[in-house]
Amino acid sequence: MAEVTRNWRLNGDPIEVSVPPGRRLLDVIREDVGKTGTKEGCGEGECGACTVLVDGQAVLSCLMPAGQVPEGAELTTVEGLERTEGGRVLQQAYIDKGAAQCGICIPGMIVSSYALLSYVEDSPDEKLIRESHAGNICRCTGYEKIVEAIQYAGEQWPRDERPTATSEHGR
Amino acid sequence: MAGCTDLMVGWVSGGLSVPERAIDVSRLAELKEIDERADRIVVGGGVTFMAMRQSSIVPRWAPALVEAAATVGGYQIQTMGTLAGSMVNASPAGDPAPTLLVTDGTVALASHRGEREVPLGKFWTGYREIDRRPDELIVRVELPKLAEGARERFRKLGPRGAQAISKVMGAYRGKLNDDGTIEEFRVSLGSVAPTAVRLSNLENWLKGQELTPELIDEAESRASREVEPIDDIRSTARYRQWVSGRLVRGFLSDLTSPA
Repeated sequence: MAEVTRNWRLNGDPIEVSVPPGRRLLDVIREDVGKTGTKEGCGEGECGACTVLVDGQAVLSCLMPAGQVPEGAELTTVEGLERTEGGRVLQQAYIDKGAAQCGICIPGMIVSSYALLSYVEDSPDEKLIRESHAGNICRCTGYEKIVEAIQYAGEQWPRDERPTATSEHGR
Repeated sequence: MAGCTDLMVGWVSGGLSVPERAIDVSRLAELKEIDERADRIVVGGGVTFMAMRQSSIVPRWAPALVEAAATVGGYQIQTMGTLAGSMVNASPAGDPAPTLLVTDGTVALASHRGEREVPLGKFWTGYREIDRRPDELIVRVELPKLAEGARERFRKLGPRGAQAISKVMGAYRGKLNDDGTIEEFRVSLGSVAPTAVRLSNLENWLKGQELTPELIDEAESRASREVEPIDDIRSTARYRQWVSGRLVRGFLSDLTSPA
C-alpha cells in the first residue's frame, strides 16, 4: 500500500509522518513517533487503554487507521495532558485518591477523564463518570477510586478548560 | 469504510482479508446530515452514535434509536461508529436495527447510477446480507417521527451494563386509542434470528385489543413462540425465547404506564 504523508500536531508539536494509510494510529504514535505513554491492551476496541484525543474527541487508536486522521489534526496523548492545567489537576487527583495500581489502563483512563471534564459544563455526577468511562477497563482497583479521582478533579477543574472551545463531538 | 470499529478488528486479526484499496467516507459532510421534515427525520449514513445522542432532533423524534446508540460500545466507539456502518455490518446483534425497523422508515442508497430507496423492512435480507449493490453507499435513513401520544423504547440484555454484545435486544413503537385499546404496536427483536425481525403475527393479533393483564400474558407467550433463535457463544435458544417474551411484556407494560 502506498504511503501517505500527514502533518499533525501531537501534543502541540508539529510532526510529519509518512505511513501506510492502514497502519494503526496506535503504532504510529508508539513505534514511529516513539511516544509510548499510550498503551495497547486488547487491540480490538474493548479495553480503552489506547484512548487518545483526535481534535478533542476520545477515540481508540488501535481501531483508527492513520490514513483516516486528516491533515492538520490535533492529537493529544497522555504525555500532552501534562502540558495542560486540567491534565495536571487530573494527575494529582489520581495520585491523591490512589486511583492507579498497576497503571496500564491509566493513560487511556485519564485521556477519557480529560475528554469528559473538558466537555461538560459542570462537575459530572457519578453516573455520567461511569458511563463515559465504560469504554476503559481497569482490572485492579475496581473503579471506586478512579471515580473518586475524577469527581475530585472535576471540583477543581480550571474554568478556561471547560468546555473545550474546539470540541465538537460526533464529527 | 467509516468508523472502522469492526473492520479494523477483522483486518488486524486476519479474520478479514485486507483490501488492496479502501475508500474512507468518514469525513464526507454530505453524509452527516441530521434534519427534520414535516413527518419524518433524516439521519445521514455517516452520522456517529455520539452525534445522534447529542443532536436535538433524533432524541425527540426517534428516542429508541438514541437509547440504542447509547449502548453501542463505550464513548470512544460511539464517537467513531456510524449508523450506516452498523447497518452494512449487518450483525444480527447490531443494536440500532430493531429501533429502525419499528419506525417503518426507508434507507437511501446511492451510486453513480443514481439513488434508490429501500424500505428498512427489506434491507436486511439474511445473515450478514443486505440489499446493497457493490458500488452503493448508504447516504441516509428517513424515519417517520414518533407520533403525538405514541411511545417507543429500546431494551438490551447482555452480560454487562455497558459495552456488551447483546444476548437479546429489541424495540417497540406503539400507540393506544383513547379507549385504551391498542391502535398499533410494532415490535422488533434482535439476536433471535439471522437478522433483526418484526413480530408481525403478534402485532396483527394485538391490534384493536384491550390491553389487559391477560392479554399481556398471552402476548408474552406468543412472542416466545414467534422467534426462532439459536444457541451460540453468547446465549442459548431457550433463554432467548423466554427473554423475547419478557421483553414484549415489558414493552406492553411501558405502553400502558409510561415509566
